[in-house]
Amino acid sequence: MMRDHAIRYGFIVLLVGLIAYFAIAADGFVSPQSAVFIFQSVAITGVLALGVTATLVVGGFDLSIGSVATSAMMAASYAMVVLEQNAVVAVIACLVIGVLVGLINGWLIVYMRVPDLLATLGMMFLLLGLQRIPTEGRSIATGMTMPDGSVANGKFSEAFLALGRHRIDFFIPNLIPVSVVVLVVLAVLIWFFLEYTRFGRMMYAVGSNERAAELAGAPVKAYKIWAYVISGVFASIGGILLAARLGRGDIASGNNLLLDAVAAALIGYAVLGAAKPNAFGTAVGAVFVGVLLQGLTMMNAPYYTQDFVKGAVLVVALVFTFALSGRGRK
Amino acid sequence: MSITRRLLGKAALGLAGAALLMQGTALAAERPAPFDKPGVKIALVRYLSTGDFFQAYLSGVEAQAKALGVDLRVLDSRQDAALQADMVDQAIALGVQGIIIQHGLTESMKDAAQRAVDAGIKVVAFDVNVENPKIPQIEQSDRDLARLALEQAVKDNGDSWKAGYVYVAGIAPLDRRNETWVDVKKKNAGISEVAMFGTLDNPIANSVANQARSVLQAHPDINVMFAPYDEFAKGVKIAVDEAGLNKKIKIYSADISTSDISAMREPDSAWAATAATNPAVVGQVSVRALAQLLAGEDPGHNVIVPPTLITQKELVDKDIKNMEDLSAKLPQFAHADVAMPAWMPNPNAK
Repeated sequence: MMRDHAIRYGFIVLLVGLIAYFAIAADGFVSPQSAVFIFQSVAITGVLALGVTATLVVGGFDLSIGSVATSAMMAASYAMVVLEQNAVVAVIACLVIGVLVGLINGWLIVYMRVPDLLATLGMMFLLLGLQRIPTEGRSIATGMTMPDGSVANGKFSEAFLALGRHRIDFFIPNLIPVSVVVLVVLAVLIWFFLEYTRFGRMMYAVGSNERAAELAGAPVKAYKIWAYVISGVFASIGGILLAARLGRGDIASGNNLLLDAVAAALIGYAVLGAAKPNAFGTAVGAVFVGVLLQGLTMMNAPYYTQDFVKGAVLVVALVFTFALSGRGRK
Repeated sequence: MSITRRLLGKAALGLAGAALLMQGTALAAERPAPFDKPGVKIALVRYLSTGDFFQAYLSGVEAQAKALGVDLRVLDSRQDAALQADMVDQAIALGVQGIIIQHGLTESMKDAAQRAVDAGIKVVAFDVNVENPKIPQIEQSDRDLARLALEQAVKDNGDSWKAGYVYVAGIAPLDRRNETWVDVKKKNAGISEVAMFGTLDNPIANSVANQARSVLQAHPDINVMFAPYDEFAKGVKIAVDEAGLNKKIKIYSADISTSDISAMREPDSAWAATAATNPAVVGQVSVRALAQLLAGEDPGHNVIVPPTLITQKELVDKDIKNMEDLSAKLPQFAHADVAMPAWMPNPNAK
């Protein structure tokens, strides 16, 4: 009974303990601004993590999310700076990329029978190259010189930048950034979708036993493709937030986004003893990592100790999960 | 098949163009051998190639090679140290007369560079120490970069301030910039470093922004940020803007790009100054030093390309919006009088 409780609430207790520790050790850690900032710093990886959770639910994996995000960032920048389009066009371009990549990933995995890791790995490389082709490897910013010698004069539209920079009044004026709202809304949406809709529950069924689900008459292939489309769209939303925050199209692989997102989703397995991918856990996992990094940085810990601690937390979370799942099925 | 044919076509066009250029230039005859005749072949063997800096470097190499009328081969190992060493052998087999080694690891390139020298080929190295007295080292002076930026910081803020410092150890140029920072701190007791942070997780600007936000929260007394790499500075600027401290904090950095220029030009931008070497000029100097070697002249063992200080005020006053404007309106940025004997054609001359 004790152990059950330990496993069920252990991770939440750890998170609370961590916050208490930083509150004492780091000046200025406890404040509404600090809390909001933690959410802002994990907003982008959090959105990616929620997307990859959908593929984990159907027993798959998506390695391409990091590069989908950076490709979306480049596409948004290209649309506004080079093609001089408005924010709506830029956002739509990103979402279309997300849907397309998701469909192609799903098609490769379901119909071409390429294993998920390999298909999405291929997609990752493909996108890394593709995002550089239009500008021949240059980063995109207003005033840049194009390969043909002309100068790109478009600007990031104010409406688009607001997605990354505008703050909404919430008790304190200018408190909550839009990106945090996006994260919370998407988290609630995907949580409700996976836990309480028939569609979501069928996705879990596909993930736990594909053959049984198929024999029960579920359109397994469609569910799997949908999972990758969700992942692609979430990743492209992450890319939109990234572009809005940076205000430019940076050449970047997005590999760190991928790793952080996957870490958040895996830590999520351990939250409330779920021992399976779940949206609530993923959100808590992302915040957990955010709290850690905020606290450690405030205490002047260098980046490698932060990686070390991140890794240690992930390992502990996985032990929680797999120790539990071993006993849970007796 | 079609690709091969297209490539062949391009190569033929390039050769024809080079030949035409040679005929058109009356001065060509006055150049020392082997540049009095077309047909000199050189190779650029690269380790790093992605990113704006390396793109600009390559454009400088190409411009100077074109001005000299030499045939340039570009071999790109894309951060594969073993492949880069093989590519030097490949260049030797191609029968080139000169090789530029651009970045790489001392361990893997030392022997390869020696093999090229043994084969009678002239070699210069940029930003990689191949530990060979016969090979001139082209360098952008990182210590000078840091010094220029910090001198401006002292000029703007006096000699007593609280600094946040962005640094990742183990990256050679950052380590050299760090030496200057340590020095400046020692000489100015009033400058105190209250926080040090930094990461190379990419997108770097985003990760550094997250860190900088935490640092600003923990140390609200910081009034100067020293971020001696432009990706760091971009991240710090995002954090400073998000915290609404852009009028209270000044950022000093190194390196420059078009997007950096627009960030510095924003109204009330915290980014006060940056020191930079024009990568295109470094590329030109690399080719010129190699050409001097081929002509039997000595460019010296350390060929240093001096940096330029670029302040926010200059950018606004001179209405500089991108790298082209910068080269046009700050002549010291567009051209360095390094490795410039009288016969050397200047690719920047219009």
